[in-house]
Amino acid sequence: MRRLISHLGPIIMLMAGLGFAIGAATSLELGSFRRMGPGAFPLLVGGVLGLLALIALIENLRMPMNVENVDPWAVLGVVGGVSAFAFLTPLMGVLPATAIAVFATGSVIPEFRWPYRIALSLGVSIAVWLIFVLGLGIPFVAIRGL
Amino acid sequence: MDLLANLALGLATAATAQNLFYCFVGVFLGTFIGVLPGVGPLAAVAMLLPVSFYLPPETALVMLAGVYYGAEYGGSIASILLNIPGTPSASVTCLDGYPMAQQGRAGVALFSTAIASMFGAMFGVVVMVLLAPRLAEFALLFQPAEYFSVMVLGLVAASVVSSSGAVRGLMMVCLGVLLGTIGVDVNSGETRFTGGIQELRDGVSLVVVAMGLFGISEVMVSLRGATQSYAGAGLTGRLLPTRSEWLRSIMPAIRGSVVGSFFGTLPGTGQTVASFVGYALEKRINRNSAEFGKGAIEGVVVPESANNAAAQTAFIPTLTLGIPGSTTMALMLGALMIHGITPGPRLIADHPELFWGLVVSFIFGNIFLLILNIPLIGIWVRLLRVPHYYLYPTVIVLICVGVFGISNSLTDVWATLIFGVIGYVLRLFRFEPAPMLIGFVLGPMMEEYFRRAMLLSRGDPTIFISRPGSAALLAVAAFLLAATILPWKQWVFRGMSVVRNSASNK
Repeated sequence: MRRLISHLGPIIMLMAGLGFAIGAATSLELGSFRRMGPGAFPLLVGGVLGLLALIALIENLRMPMNVENVDPWAVLGVVGGVSAFAFLTPLMGVLPATAIAVFATGSVIPEFRWPYRIALSLGVSIAVWLIFVLGLGIPFVAIRGL
Repeated sequence: MDLLANLALGLATAATAQNLFYCFVGVFLGTFIGVLPGVGPLAAVAMLLPVSFYLPPETALVMLAGVYYGAEYGGSIASILLNIPGTPSASVTCLDGYPMAQQGRAGVALFSTAIASMFGAMFGVVVMVLLAPRLAEFALLFQPAEYFSVMVLGLVAASVVSSSGAVRGLMMVCLGVLLGTIGVDVNSGETRFTGGIQELRDGVSLVVVAMGLFGISEVMVSLRGATQSYAGAGLTGRLLPTRSEWLRSIMPAIRGSVVGSFFGTLPGTGQTVASFVGYALEKRINRNSAEFGKGAIEGVVVPESANNAAAQTAFIPTLTLGIPGSTTMALMLGALMIHGITPGPRLIADHPELFWGLVVSFIFGNIFLLILNIPLIGIWVRLLRVPHYYLYPTVIVLICVGVFGISNSLTDVWATLIFGVIGYVLRLFRFEPAPMLIGFVLGPMMEEYFRRAMLLSRGDPTIFISRPGSAALLAVAAFLLAATILPWKQWVFRGMSVVRNSASNK
């Protein structure tokens, strides 16, 4: 099973290369050698990528490269933090969104106890206000309704 | 005389209060992220890109460059105290630095790395001052074919040093180049690969790609990793090396700087290669080579002088040819392009204040670094005691705020997250995202020169090998590829065993 997953990497690359090459050949003008159209260069590079991916796939069939382990909690923490920021900024303003995002990302680290997490959330929010709003003068809605 | 006038111009640019302040900010942040294992200069420069858009171009470059070379100073601190390199290029410093710390000579090790770093950096700056203007003058002779070939060389060089192998490195380069083709084609005005999405017409933003691939995905990798913080006794014992240690260090520092300057100037190699080669070379020729690995002072002086010399000279190809010596350099080139400055041989002539200001700022920056790393070394040792988990949530939010700050669009924040996930998946499959970014930055320029060269040759693709300059550059690229891809070692071993078998059969 792990071997199969390991082959997936070069296969994705192969599809990406072919995707760009076919997309360029079918929907863009290729032009002539002398006056190349917008599709020529992507076709060339996509083809090279496809070729390299084939080489990598053959290499991998002979000697599969180890796949790293996924850490679902880490992914969840980061995705959660960024999503919290993107969702909450229009609703509450940048600073509350910042604090909640820091707290959310910190929550997946087992050793990181909550009083410290709250302290970090507040600290980072203040730092963001000092650097971005006061220092650089970026027109953020710092806290909505204030 | 000309040189003096240029340096005077540089001094006038670099010595303004604003530039000195941002130079200090740069080297301070550089040391900070250098000290902390896990976050590299690449992520730090990516995170500072949004801030740099609010500054004049020369100030922005001074700051970003400060992060770059400052990280080389900081990287050795964790190597010596924790046996964990703060930056990849400081991994050689572990070999002798950590044994020195265990023998109670941490102070001496840190002091001599700071001095060696300063020495290497200054050596690199001198090389840059002497070499860069010449190289730029020479490069003015380049025609589109040569430009294309020099970019091919840069991309090949960047992918062969990739840790997952040259084929995978090259694949990432191609993927980056393809990503760069998304958006409106400048020649025909036609849109490419946008899938009808309006936001993609201007192409994918460099900030979004860089922060996603390096910031977000790096945090995903290290967020819940082992967070070892420093529990040792700190700096006990003396700080100053003895007279004999000083004397033993002089020649190795010079040799390290020479090796470092060479590999720094070569596009694609950079600090890590420089420090490894410098150490290996020194071990061959040094009289005390038996002590290497057991806490020899030469073992910290050589890699540190080499990687700092390389950090400075890496600016030579970047600023004279427009070929980034490393991924971080590619980001800096990207930052310049966003400021409307085209990198290439005309940069020094068109923007002398930028180039010479940067050179002089290197001198100021290294003086700041010496102050930060000798009298204030205690701060960094204490920083290593702070648990690393404070860092990662902060990085994530600074990325969000930074992306949102430049575009005022939450779509860009989502796009950054998508690139973060892509970067993470690529890492899982052992594809290193760094060469992809170089491809992304160089791709559009490469296409432009490719098309121009083909137009000039009236559609004859042999122009790339019939012009001697271009042919030579491509030959070097092909040689580099052959040297890394082909299994030379296996062939040699197989050949040897065949010889041995036939000998034993007789």
